[in-house]
Amino acid sequence: MFERSKKDDDSLESQDAKRTASDTTLGSLRSKVAGRGGDAAVIGRSIQINGDLRGGEDLRIEGDVSGTVELKNSALTIGKEGKVKADVYARSIAVDGETKGDLYATERVSVHVNARVQGNIIAPKVSIEEGAHFKGSIEMDPAAVEKALGKTAANGVDKPIAGHRSGNAVDTKAVPKKPAKDARTNLNPPAGTV
Amino acid sequence: MTKVTASLRRASRPLPPDSPAALHAPLFQDLLAGLDTTGRYVILDLGAASTAMLALLGRSRCRVEIADLAHFGGIDHLNTAAPGPALADAAESLLPNRLPDDAIDLVFCWDLPNYLTLDALSALMGAIGRRVRPGALAHALIFYAGRDMKQHPGRFVPTADGQLIDLSAPGAMIAAPRYSPEDLGRSMGGFLIDRARLLGNGMQEFLLRLGS
Repeated sequence: MFERSKKDDDSLESQDAKRTASDTTLGSLRSKVAGRGGDAAVIGRSIQINGDLRGGEDLRIEGDVSGTVELKNSALTIGKEGKVKADVYARSIAVDGETKGDLYATERVSVHVNARVQGNIIAPKVSIEEGAHFKGSIEMDPAAVEKALGKTAANGVDKPIAGHRSGNAVDTKAVPKKPAKDARTNLNPPAGTV
Repeated sequence: MTKVTASLRRASRPLPPDSPAALHAPLFQDLLAGLDTTGRYVILDLGAASTAMLALLGRSRCRVEIADLAHFGGIDHLNTAAPGPALADAAESLLPNRLPDDAIDLVFCWDLPNYLTLDALSALMGAIGRRVRPGALAHALIFYAGRDMKQHPGRFVPTADGQLIDLSAPGAMIAAPRYSPEDLGRSMGGFLIDRARLLGNGMQEFLLRLGS
């Protein structure tokens, strides 16, 4: 779905070549990224950012970013050349490159083939393609996800869409209306012989 | 259709002739069948993350800890650490932090124990034993009948009906340690053999339970 064409690569390289190190504000990084859902700001592969990065528009990272990334109502794509060492907060996060840090998304986290992700994922929907490398935890309990994301009207983050289930929802009919119980459930597979 | 659903359907289709055969692992299937859809579980997976596995576990209210020891250098780290404190520290460093309110219920070891020395296995399972709740279960696949195994651990992915497919690339073979149940009894950090089955490919499937 998010595979980048060679045309996109050429376009990004061309943009990178024209960009100087001072062009690191999101507004000045706006560029057209074909096939990625229209306009998105781009942090090119020659750019390094240390510190907190905040914004209200979609962003694609091909460079190095350390610190914190907050795009609470927008989509973040970490491209194949992108290296992010930060906790990331966004509406959706797609990873083709490398991340170290926790990924918080109010909608979805997608880890694509050949991506390397170390950290925890907290999102209502998570997909990890075969061939991706992930180390960390994935919270798939809706109540725990909501708690972690702090989904309240007060902080301006959208409520989860009805019927969405944390983790990898296969059958939304099976989603309990409310968490049935917080107590741990014992695993008792049928007895057998050794 | 969600990506996960698509993945599961692909996994349950008849396999092309050059695909690895699906492995019928009855204890693995029993484990999955025992997961209550409304229950809360914390699961430690020592192997690689797979969407199909997450989809199966996602039927319950799970938190899944993925260690991926094979890819992130954990096997070499353990096998080369000096016995004693250094080995214990190595094992601790490979595992998630201990959370007192969220102890681990279930551990998927896959075939990783075959790639660890008994000292390394003992250190790893001992560290895991300090993170699990009483009565926790562990699942493992041990090369038993065959003398050889792949040079690197498998990448096991479940089909929709709970069979396993090893997606790892074919490569060089090495001698399998062929650990006995007695070896495992001494090296699984307090996990005791609960059930065992000899599988069609010559592997022994073990379900272990943490002793009190």
